[in-house]
Amino acid sequence: MAPKYKLTYFNLRARAETARLLFAAAGVEYEDFRVEFGGGPPSEQWKELKPKTPMGQLPLLEVDGVTLCQSMSIARFVARETGLDGKTSLEKAQADMIVDAVEETLNKIYATMFGTDESKAQAKKVLETAVPEFLKNMEKLAGPDGHFVGDSLTWADVRFFDLASEMMAKHADLLENFPNLTKVVDTVKANSGVAKWIAKRPETPF
Amino acid sequence: GVHCGACRKMSVYELHYFNNRGRAEPARLLFAAAGLPYRDIRIQSEQWPEYKLKLPMHQVPVLEVDGTMICQSVAIARYVAKVTGHAGKTDLEQAKVDMLVDGIDDVMTKKGDYVWHEKDETRKMEKKTAFYETTLPQFLSHFEKLLRTNNGGDGFLVGEGLTHADAWFLCLADDILLDFPDIFSPYPKLAALVERIRTYPGIKEWLAKRPQTPF
Repeated sequence: MAPKYKLTYFNLRARAETARLLFAAAGVEYEDFRVEFGGGPPSEQWKELKPKTPMGQLPLLEVDGVTLCQSMSIARFVARETGLDGKTSLEKAQADMIVDAVEETLNKIYATMFGTDESKAQAKKVLETAVPEFLKNMEKLAGPDGHFVGDSLTWADVRFFDLASEMMAKHADLLENFPNLTKVVDTVKANSGVAKWIAKRPETPF
Repeated sequence: GVHCGACRKMSVYELHYFNNRGRAEPARLLFAAAGLPYRDIRIQSEQWPEYKLKLPMHQVPVLEVDGTMICQSVAIARYVAKVTGHAGKTDLEQAKVDMLVDGIDDVMTKKGDYVWHEKDETRKMEKKTAFYETTLPQFLSHFEKLLRTNNGGDGFLVGEGLTHADAWFLCLADDILLDFPDIFSPYPKLAALVERIRTYPGIKEWLAKRPQTPF
């Protein structure tokens, strides 16, 4: 029987990886469909698929005949389906706000990678103050037990881990002065589903 | 107020923001639609340097719920929608609402880029032109199509009733209509949706009495 969920994205981690990590953490099967990523001009595969998508973008999640788009809406839905979105409405809102903050910072990082030379330079300057500020705020919100919300794993932890591990690949000491955040990262890394996925996932540039 | 079933106590809501619509207005619309009382705090700019230090991410809006602070405008609006029954009925419906809100948020952020972050006047005009010639029409045509997939497009964006996606959409509409009053003429279903949200009970009264601010 085909898996209930089909996740479509480029052959990259980027904006689909949080959903993939959540499926892995919960041990839930899904179809991990990867569209060719040209790295420059769009692939033929993407050119054909794009007009069929709700907003001309990836990732997509297909479930029960519905096609969802927007990476964080998809991730939130997967978190809900796998019981990783927080226990009460307020806890869910707290998880949401953590994820939104990560998204804000990620977009600032992308702004240093895509655009004109001038906009990229400007974005780099913004990042210099934005990242320390972000980490300081997140450290306060994380608490000492390895979770951002409540007392168990939520998608907020996984989302933060996703961003942090990407950043730490280039700056290994990123969280050296942030013990609470280090605990969050270690807790997610120690999840057996996550560990297995990371060991076997395709190698991609980002 | 809302009765918490377990403790039979009314929750106290305080929304902290500046004196404008900006990123707090979707939550205000949702409170209004539900007739749910809240403290609509509007911070003066002189207070801001000290005020922000007590906020979780030094940003507004912040919604305080019985003393717990939630920040991030989209998370706040989603929470108010949940509490007032405007989040979407099933998990899948809620995800559809979420994805539309994300689409609107993306467009608002792109607009904010040139309005607030671009200092060079020539580049600002170039970006504004690109926004109105390319970005926004692409977005509006996706949304007209998405709206039409829901009961022919004669109701709200998702499901049977008002959701926070509609609240966000009205806020975007208010903003772009200031630049181009006929922006919706190619998109009749979206134009009708805007009117439908504007006349929604509770929202209608709020629109008539809310502080008039430029944005």
